Amino acid sequence: MKVTFTAYHAVAEWKWDLPEDSDDTCGICRVQFEGTCAKCKYPGDDCPIMIGECTHCFHMHCISDWLHSESSQGKCPMCRQPFNQKVAEAPAAPLRTPGGVAAGS
Amino acid sequence: MAGMSGKRLQKELAKIQGVLPPGISLVSAEDLREWQMDLIVPDNPIYPPDEKYRLRFHFSTNYPIEAPEVVFMLLSTPERKIPMHPHIYSNGIICLDLLDKQGWSPVHNVESVCISIQSMLASNTKAERPPGDAEFVRSNRSRPRDINFLYHDPTV
Repeated sequence: MKVTFTAYHAVAEWKWDLPEDSDDTCGICRVQFEGTCAKCKYPGDDCPIMIGECTHCFHMHCISDWLHSESSQGKCPMCRQPFNQKVAEAPAAPLRTPGGVAAGS
Repeated sequence: MAGMSGKRLQKELAKIQGVLPPGISLVSAEDLREWQMDLIVPDNPIYPPDEKYRLRFHFSTNYPIEAPEVVFMLLSTPERKIPMHPHIYSNGIICLDLLDKQGWSPVHNVESVCISIQSMLASNTKAERPPGDAEFVRSNRSRPRDINFLYHDPTV
């Protein structure tokens, strides 16, 4: 069955709680942080964000693919500092407003 | 094409089909695995402004975790020469840090690689080939990414 949406009313939206001057998109896959990495189907908790001590953010799956590759030498793709996950302030930042978009019928 | 590269390349292609920096143009991107780009080098008498140089990008399914393979192509129609440069071998292989395993970062993209190569040509003052060019071209059987270049002269 094919369904066509004619209208929807968003009742809530969510955003990752990222450092203030972060980009909107992951520098590795070029998809918005609120979207998924190239391998995931569902955004949100299934495809979290990892924030580095250098404040650069990536989809966790993207940065981990990079860090596991031989070329990375453990460095941040942006600033080439050693990439270490930022701790203290909730590593993979939790959702500020859980919930989603409600589709109208 | 499976893996990570497909989506990312599709995004890059959509952007590249819009606006590109001056002197850089897309020639083909037929199956997302291999793209060809033409470059013009402005303001350098070594490279006539009406001469275009053809770059071939080859992407593995692991792009952008893995660097693309980027070489200059020698063609007769349309005529495309291999630009003279102390880091470009006469078979088109380019010795540039951002294209090898040590220098690559997945935040680079086709456009930024083209810009780097264009500026490497624009700032060149020597119309010569790398030392040992003839020997390298005769004997090299490795793919560009597997070659360990010696950066003998980082000033060029």
